[in-house]
Amino acid sequence: MKAKLAVLIAGVALLAAAVPVFAHHAFAAEYDASKRLTLKGKVTKWELVNPHSWIHIDVTGPDGKVTEWMVEGGSPNSLLRNGFNKNSLPAGTEIVVEGYQAKDGANRAVGANLTYAADGKRLFLGGSAPGANGGSGENQ
Amino acid sequence: MSHRHFMFLCALTISAVLLVSIGAAAQTKSYVPTKTPDGQPDLQGIWSTLTSVPLERPANLGAKEFYTPEDLAAQANRAAGGRGRGGGRGAAPETGDLAVHYDTSQFGLDRSHATVATSNRTSLVVGPEGRVPPLLPEAQKRQAERAAYQREHQWDGPESRPLAERCITWPSEGPPMLAPGYNSNLQIVQGKGYVAIMQEMIHDVRVIPTDNSAHLPSNIHLYFGDSRGHWEGNTLVVDTTNFTDKTAFRGSGEKLHVVEKFTRTADDAIKYEFTVDDPTAWAKPWSAEVSWAKEAGPVFEYACQEGNYGMKNNLSGARATDKKAAEAAAAKKAQ
Repeated sequence: MKAKLAVLIAGVALLAAAVPVFAHHAFAAEYDASKRLTLKGKVTKWELVNPHSWIHIDVTGPDGKVTEWMVEGGSPNSLLRNGFNKNSLPAGTEIVVEGYQAKDGANRAVGANLTYAADGKRLFLGGSAPGANGGSGENQ
Repeated sequence: MSHRHFMFLCALTISAVLLVSIGAAAQTKSYVPTKTPDGQPDLQGIWSTLTSVPLERPANLGAKEFYTPEDLAAQANRAAGGRGRGGGRGAAPETGDLAVHYDTSQFGLDRSHATVATSNRTSLVVGPEGRVPPLLPEAQKRQAERAAYQREHQWDGPESRPLAERCITWPSEGPPMLAPGYNSNLQIVQGKGYVAIMQEMIHDVRVIPTDNSAHLPSNIHLYFGDSRGHWEGNTLVVDTTNFTDKTAFRGSGEKLHVVEKFTRTADDAIKYEFTVDDPTAWAKPWSAEVSWAKEAGPVFEYACQEGNYGMKNNLSGARATDKKAAEAAAAKKAQ
């Protein structure tokens, strides 16, 4: 039911769908669309800064070695309106991020999807935040 | 309540809201705005500039300038039955440019999260054509030269990046002011002799004198031009000249001249009209009209420069691409 409702809400959004959403900078310059990755790690820091927020995570590899990654997210202004706040990703939170790695090969990525490892909730899914329609079920 | 019932109710509600809105729009002539303490019509507050109306009319609508209530009800029904772009995307597409940047619904960039004024217009551009006039040959040449230079030099360094990426101005800031797509809010504050407009994207404040003072000397060029305002009845009229060619508005140049009109048509609505003219760009002036809706707020600070890692990261990506190309060329030469 929840997934269907999300689809419904998306349909209603069609009325407002006239201006293309564009982000602060182009994707293709900074990130490599062929380097899709999934990172599972613990949040060490959450920078709520414009134009883009940044999540820092420690990722433990199969050999036990820990590497630091930083992941780009949306504008904090939008996130706050969407029910997010600075306590939403406390240090230590285990998350899974699907995204694309930077072209320069650094441990830096842009996040396309974010899932809380503890309960499988995705950012903004559930709760009473308006437009909490992240989970349409296609990518789970 | 079943899913089907819920959908039907939603469609019904949207239709009703649209019909009521159209009715309200027809009554706006009788609306008298309250006055500020010094007697100006009160435009103050936070307003959403987001609109469901495209700047230019879809070609298939011909000269049809307004949707009928029946058209709007049919659209609402279709919307409630289908799914639109911009919302509910669970998966990021595998290819494309901006398409893979965000799952918009997750990162708060979805339009359904924002207040949008209702409108029965088919295009923001008014008149039977509903489209921006074609650029004059001279302007087309100027635009092509700009594009060619940009292609060649866009990755030279920070100064060659677009103004928005450099956190200087956002393309929608104008004037004329159009919706940036997300964080589409602005706040109007009035004082004696001035009207100030702060746009959330990307932090700038237009301070507009309303004292009928003259424009700046013509050799001074500003990113937002030089705006001077006056009141005509309950409408604020703002005249802007002295633009720079660094902020081309749809192919305009320094000679851009913008006249904006702000009229409060209800407690929760402003009609924003603008006419743009540039003899070096278009054969004739053209005008548009946008409905703004009252937004609860607050407007958040958008300190763009604060965390603009994108500048360094983009250039770093470009250098990595250069290096790869140089290595490939060297390897080819060695063969």
